[in-house]
Amino acid sequence: MAFDKIELRDLEVWDGNFAAAQALRQAQVDVVAAYPITPSTPIVEGYAKFKSDNYIEGEFVMVESEHAAMSACIGAAAAGGRVATATSSQGLALMVETLYQASGMRLPIVLNLVNRALAAPLNVNGDHSDMYLTRDSGWIQLDAFSPQEAYDMNLIAFKVSEDHDIRLPAIVNQDGFMTSHTAQGVYPLTDDAAFEFVGTYKPMNDMLDFEHPVTHGVQTEEDWHFEHKARQHNDLMVKVPSKIDEVFADFEKLSGRKYNPVECYDMADADVAVFCLGTSVETAREVATEMRAKGIKAGVVGLRVIRPFPFMEVADALKDIKAVAVLDRSSPNGAAGAMFNEVAGSLINTDSKVLLSGYVYGLGGRDLTKANLVDLYKELQANADAGKLTTQQQQFIGVRGPKLSYL
Amino acid sequence: MKKGWDEFEIGAMLRTFDGSIDNIAGTSQDDRSYSENSSYTASVADWRLIKPIFNKDYCIDCQFCWIYCPDVSIISRDKKMIGIDMDHCKGCGICAEVCPTNPKSLIMFPEQSEDEAEIASWPAKDEEK
Amino acid sequence: MSEMKKIKNLKEFSTSADRFEGANLLCPGCAHSIIVREVLNATNDDLVLAASTGCLEVCTSVYPYTSWDASWIHIGFENSSTAVAGAESMYNALKTKGRLKQPERNPKFVAFGGDGSSYDIGFQWISGCMERNHDMMYVVLDNEVYANTGGQRSSSTPIGSSATTSPAGKISYGEKTNKKDMLGIMAAHNIPYAAQVAPNKWKDMVKKIQKGFATEGAVFINAVSPCTTEWKFDPKDTMHLADLSTDSLVFPLYEIIGGKEFNITYRPKNIVPVEEYLAAQGRFKHLFKDEYKYLIKEWQERVDANWAYLQRREEAKV
Repeated sequence: MAFDKIELRDLEVWDGNFAAAQALRQAQVDVVAAYPITPSTPIVEGYAKFKSDNYIEGEFVMVESEHAAMSACIGAAAAGGRVATATSSQGLALMVETLYQASGMRLPIVLNLVNRALAAPLNVNGDHSDMYLTRDSGWIQLDAFSPQEAYDMNLIAFKVSEDHDIRLPAIVNQDGFMTSHTAQGVYPLTDDAAFEFVGTYKPMNDMLDFEHPVTHGVQTEEDWHFEHKARQHNDLMVKVPSKIDEVFADFEKLSGRKYNPVECYDMADADVAVFCLGTSVETAREVATEMRAKGIKAGVVGLRVIRPFPFMEVADALKDIKAVAVLDRSSPNGAAGAMFNEVAGSLINTDSKVLLSGYVYGLGGRDLTKANLVDLYKELQANADAGKLTTQQQQFIGVRGPKLSYL
Repeated sequence: MKKGWDEFEIGAMLRTFDGSIDNIAGTSQDDRSYSENSSYTASVADWRLIKPIFNKDYCIDCQFCWIYCPDVSIISRDKKMIGIDMDHCKGCGICAEVCPTNPKSLIMFPEQSEDEAEIASWPAKDEEK
Repeated sequence: MSEMKKIKNLKEFSTSADRFEGANLLCPGCAHSIIVREVLNATNDDLVLAASTGCLEVCTSVYPYTSWDASWIHIGFENSSTAVAGAESMYNALKTKGRLKQPERNPKFVAFGGDGSSYDIGFQWISGCMERNHDMMYVVLDNEVYANTGGQRSSSTPIGSSATTSPAGKISYGEKTNKKDMLGIMAAHNIPYAAQVAPNKWKDMVKKIQKGFATEGAVFINAVSPCTTEWKFDPKDTMHLADLSTDSLVFPLYEIIGGKEFNITYRPKNIVPVEEYLAAQGRFKHLFKDEYKYLIKEWQERVDANWAYLQRREEAKV
């Protein structure tokens, strides 16, 4: 039975979840195994509904936990077909064991991670705490700042992840609620164009090839384990970046939308910059424009590719500025911010004299206001003028009570 | 020499056979092209302290040894027991234990024993059984 | 549906071309591989297999060797059931989409796990797979203990057994709780087929496995797997222990069809006293001290009561 296509308008009004669901439909994902959790649930509900309405040929497996969701995704991916799922927060936390197994077994799977805070205290709103749980999991990790990008990054993720030189699973992050539940204009590709871009799944080491039986998920002890892990890291460091660049370029040709591992806005002549992820990028861009009217040469750097971390591109983006604020939307819990550390790591041993300060913000869905960012840019300018940090290195912003700053 | 990190397939994946195999269940082990990664090509002979010796004179091809061997070490072809795969036998002794003949056609001996000598002095039928 | 493999007798069965290999690292005399061979050899169809972390898995897939002549996957301790369910889902998807490489094949999807993996940590995953009625078979290699990690009690460990985390001692007879009725729980999912099997009763086992393979939907098999290392008996006696387990009715053999129809499939001609079963194993050695002998009596009463219950249930057809 053939499935039906959908004739989309040139401009649709979709929230991030629906945009991701549409991308899964257009990629004609073979198996989605999933478990509901706010705010990611509508993505897999979308797939299920598309299937019920014959817009998808595939299997939707509603399992009994997020751990089982990723377990089934791994089994399905090893069997040999296109696989995707979605989760958030606690669900992701329960899934973590299997994330390492999926990547170690080099199975392409696309996971939509709709970023949400981690309990306790329980919270359903957006921050990046769950994102950092995946940090060292060996997955390719992309970040979408808007519904449009949630759609685009899904299509891109399949193409990168399933490439036979890559064969690594990929996470597409988007902000819980701020992106996932906020309807915005999205320019989709046609069904045919989108599927052609992603391409027909090409199996590799597939368990359903009975003429070539394979064993997946072996045990390697001290005489083999290190080599396999080293191979995975090497492929992330060496093979994935060029593949992402290639797929970004292909996508630009098709859609006119150009993506970069590090997105720079107003950075060409900037003195100060905010480095952030997700929906904060858009807010920061708006404030940066306003700051320029007030005489502060403000820029914004948004991180598109979280893993493999684009060290060179980050260093390059920041090399000529005087002060940068790295925004971490998760509690560092006794350290510098996770993203602060990554950016610091990019700059070390370079000629850059950029002053680096870290800001912890937006936990549990707390808004990052324009006023917060105006103050922040002013602090950065003060740092730039003084030629040294005028504040402590780590500050909390937008939290009630006495000011918190450290280091 | 063990392989370096860039010398093996990604994902620590192992292939059982070299090339393609059409019908595994219909292909005898003798006719399969096992890859170097199949444990079929490995040996656990050095695990053994005792070993089974097979005396075909008494064997009735009941196949108890074949079905109860945990190590796929009883070589049965065309419904006949034809020998023991000494690369894979761990010397557990189950085959000798389940052998129903009198005298048994499989008996465990110390690993160093000579098969021909033991067969030459094989125990006689136990009249009490 | 493919044709069922004809296995009239053991001679005919012995013409099977094994899809499980030797030089695996299981202990000499391990019943796991005997069970696995009986399961795999029950069909000529292609196989997609999974194993949960445990003895079977760590002993058959240590890089760079595999003992499996069929597609096989291991993910973790708790999820071999779901791994195979995922593969089965992909099979269905690709079948619908006409993308199977060998569309004429009728693969069977089988997951193996020990009792630790099945009765305990993977319980929820198996329950999910059974409830969703994937076309798959889950086989428990039930040796009543976490053998791979060195002999800790599981919820399958029977009362009075000495395990490393419920050790017998000066003031303890070891494990204090009764074995979980996993088969009953799984049958309560109203799955098409559930059965208890034992490797010594190969014909009964192969018949059930074939029935399971012929069944569309989820199948649950609990196989008693005497463990030479943790039950503490001589490796040569594995089949003897299996005989004692079935003939003492500690492990009665039966099947439950559709969660309702109940059939006892083996009635020992000479029922062996439970004491003999216990006496053959080091893990129950302490029960033969005077102060614990009452437990042996209780064991017998429990087994008798269970056997009476099973017979009543069969008679009542419920």
